[in-house]
Amino acid sequence: MTRRYGLVIDLERCIGCDTCTIACKLENGLEKGSWIRVETVGGPHRDTPEGKHPQLSMHFLPVLCMHCDQPPCVDVCPLEAIFKREDGIVLVDEEKCDGCQACLPACPYGALTYDEEENTVRKCTLCVHRLAEGLDPFCLTCCETEAIYFGDRNDPASTVARVTALRNAVALKPELGTKPAVYYCPTRDGRIE
Amino acid sequence: MSRSGEQKVVRTVCGIEDGVRCGILAHVRNGVLVKVEPADFPDPRFRHVCARALCSPKLVYHPDRLKYPVRRVGERGEGRWQRISWDEATDIIAGKLREIGEKHGYESIAFVVEKLAYLRLASALEATMVNPIGFGDAAAPCGDEISYGTHYGGLYTIGFQNPAMCVIWGRNPAETHPLWWRRIRDAKEGGAKVVVIDPRFTSTASKADEYVSIRPGTDVALALGMMNVISERGLDDKPFISRYTVGPFLVRRGDGLFLRESEIVPGGSNEYVVWDTKTNKPRLHNEEGVTPALEGVYDVGGINCRPSFQLLADLAKQYPLDKASEITEVLPGTIERLAIEYATLKPVASYRGMGLQRTFHGDLSYRAITALAAVTGNINLGGYSEGYRRFLFNSGTILFGDRFPRPMSLLQTYEAIPTGQPYPIKALWLAGQNFMNQNPDNNKILRELVPRLEFIAVTDMFMTASAQHADVVLPTCSFFEHLDLVTPIEVLSPYVQLQPKVIEPLYESKSDRDIVNEIGPKMGLGEDFQVSAEQYIDRILSSGHPSMEGITLEKLKQGPVEVAPYAVTGFRTPSGRIEFYSERMKQFDQELPVYIEPLESARQPRAEKYPLSYLSTHTKYGNHSLLANIAWLRELDPEPLLEMNPVDAEERGIKDGDMVVALSDRGKVKLKAKIHQGIRPGVVNINEGWWHHHFAEGTFQALTHATINPAQMTVFEPNSALYDNLVEVRKAGEE
Repeated sequence: MTRRYGLVIDLERCIGCDTCTIACKLENGLEKGSWIRVETVGGPHRDTPEGKHPQLSMHFLPVLCMHCDQPPCVDVCPLEAIFKREDGIVLVDEEKCDGCQACLPACPYGALTYDEEENTVRKCTLCVHRLAEGLDPFCLTCCETEAIYFGDRNDPASTVARVTALRNAVALKPELGTKPAVYYCPTRDGRIE
Repeated sequence: MSRSGEQKVVRTVCGIEDGVRCGILAHVRNGVLVKVEPADFPDPRFRHVCARALCSPKLVYHPDRLKYPVRRVGERGEGRWQRISWDEATDIIAGKLREIGEKHGYESIAFVVEKLAYLRLASALEATMVNPIGFGDAAAPCGDEISYGTHYGGLYTIGFQNPAMCVIWGRNPAETHPLWWRRIRDAKEGGAKVVVIDPRFTSTASKADEYVSIRPGTDVALALGMMNVISERGLDDKPFISRYTVGPFLVRRGDGLFLRESEIVPGGSNEYVVWDTKTNKPRLHNEEGVTPALEGVYDVGGINCRPSFQLLADLAKQYPLDKASEITEVLPGTIERLAIEYATLKPVASYRGMGLQRTFHGDLSYRAITALAAVTGNINLGGYSEGYRRFLFNSGTILFGDRFPRPMSLLQTYEAIPTGQPYPIKALWLAGQNFMNQNPDNNKILRELVPRLEFIAVTDMFMTASAQHADVVLPTCSFFEHLDLVTPIEVLSPYVQLQPKVIEPLYESKSDRDIVNEIGPKMGLGEDFQVSAEQYIDRILSSGHPSMEGITLEKLKQGPVEVAPYAVTGFRTPSGRIEFYSERMKQFDQELPVYIEPLESARQPRAEKYPLSYLSTHTKYGNHSLLANIAWLRELDPEPLLEMNPVDAEERGIKDGDMVVALSDRGKVKLKAKIHQGIRPGVVNINEGWWHHHFAEGTFQALTHATINPAQMTVFEPNSALYDNLVEVRKAGEE
């Protein structure tokens, strides 16, 4: 069976520390922005809860490229600069990309970024350069709370497959039919978004 | 030096000083630090890195790094500097220190430093050494000194393998000490209940099973209210209290001191006396077969006595649920339930926070929670952490001969500079200590302290607020640029580690050790200042302390070495037991952990003018003032904000994002408001660490006071009561 690389992120473990955000910048040399962002699911600002004091709730949601099986970005790119590898990883061919940004609104997860200096769209690669060396994506390597798992979703013995089954992990916006390869373990209250 | 394309990976230790000692792998390409990542430890629980550490290459290569020594040419704080050589800089410093030392005595030179390298110089000069711990972390050691006889008793209440409940009092470890959080998380995943008691709904609170919002500074009343519930229901752990605490010791009614054998038997010993319930007679506490009373009133040879546990119970009785609730603003049912859980779920781990100690009576908060843990038997007897700490502070070998510096607490500098008491401080040397940015009552510092000083030297990596007010500024190098020894720290690292020189020092920067080594000979202290970093490390390792047995430099070059467990039996209090009743605190009417309304609370008269309790908490986006200039972190947390509950904002016509002014008797600060429900009504917060220029006006420390708590001063050092300050907030332009 073909490999299908993906992540599982445990939202009960995630403490919103943004170590993944900075790790992504460091690994990929991103002076501005990051290919992973940690959203606060709660109040009006980062790190604020919803509800009324003291009945409150808040959790964090790291969002990145979902490496979809049906990636809308691939479909809208007029230059076929975005492609899906055999192992499921969706990549941007920065040589081909002319920076038209048609793909940006097409992504329902807001996971694509536009690099003004390079005039190209860029996004999470699941650290393909590290995978080639047998290493994990760097966000996982640095995650403070060991909340990120990586592996082959098609291998039932893989950590990602087992955690998905054990914790009833789900994808974001499944109704869109994008079939993401990034899954989330819900919080103890059963919440994702 | 390095070949083209040369790459290496060097294990070192993150030196962003936040009380953690994370091992990191530093990737170096052509002599340039390009990346860091977490390093493994023998115990995988210590493998850890945070966003701050990952920014360290940005710290090292920051464009604003100080590149060479400078001296002031304009007025202090004016920002006019002249580049000078190291030789000139050290000549000026040595000359000034000698001049001031000869004129006013060497005690007039105060070192306020985070780097132990300066201890050597301070001891050689017999100068004044100011412990920076008083900037907000001195009340916890003060409380634990009284309760346990050690400054750091943290492990006594948290060191359980499998706690059934973790109660986090005034701490936000998910942001500020994620390694602590991971322990709590492990306990939680193992089934433990997690409770967070805090006026703010923090990231940590968001992960808890229960969040208890409390009026700031009232934790003692909560603990006493809980102890009362426990006592009323007979849920106290009497065997534990009898065996390990001063609970059974009889206290004389008149002077409040423990009754001694010598007072009831002519020629008797100084041993403590208990009331034996079997024989109905006074007996010595350590006599065999004694079953001491914990309750009751006894007449011992005409002396009216009560066991100290009875006194604690009597105190707790003054805090029935309705009163405890009225003070803390925690629901009575919550207090009752938490109390029952404390007494019945075993063990309960009490995580006493750093924030908890930052009210004026923070030492009492620490003591009260210790008392609560003790009466419920939730003390981990294997938790003695002195072994780690003694290693940390075993600096005897780096002192200069047999000379010692004169210790002075941080808050005393506020008195010493204007009054000359206890020492006529005329010169300050700040290293790794951003005094002018981070310490309380900033206006007092800048207007009353700085102008009175004859000389200020600052060593830093950046032109901080402190450096801006200096006469000479020396560029220090980062922790990647010099060899050092990294010692263990309680809970967070049991390892001795080596911090090798990973890259060459940038520009003209030098390590603090090298700076001291250059100053020493210029002050006529030549003979023992030509010691290399390796030689210093060897001296420390070979000092003969049991915790260092078998640890060598060679071993450390291979990787971290776990410090030898340093067995200490019993408590080092005067009684050898946990002292929730302390004779020496009687002089302050604090022999028990009494509740005292915070110095500046909304219930104090000054609240009419300044009704809001002001906090200045710590975040995941920085480490004190160290990382405030790191662009990567500022993308996430761009500017200081005043956090306020919508209730308080509406009352003042303040909308989210409005420019506001926070005022106190001490000063003011102008910044934008962040309105949200996570902060308790009546409480406002500005995260600490921002530099002066980040604010539209003023600074976060302009609001705070530097009042000395005499009880803390007697036991340890007075703490800055940074979270015990009243302020008012107005829309900018309407103040």
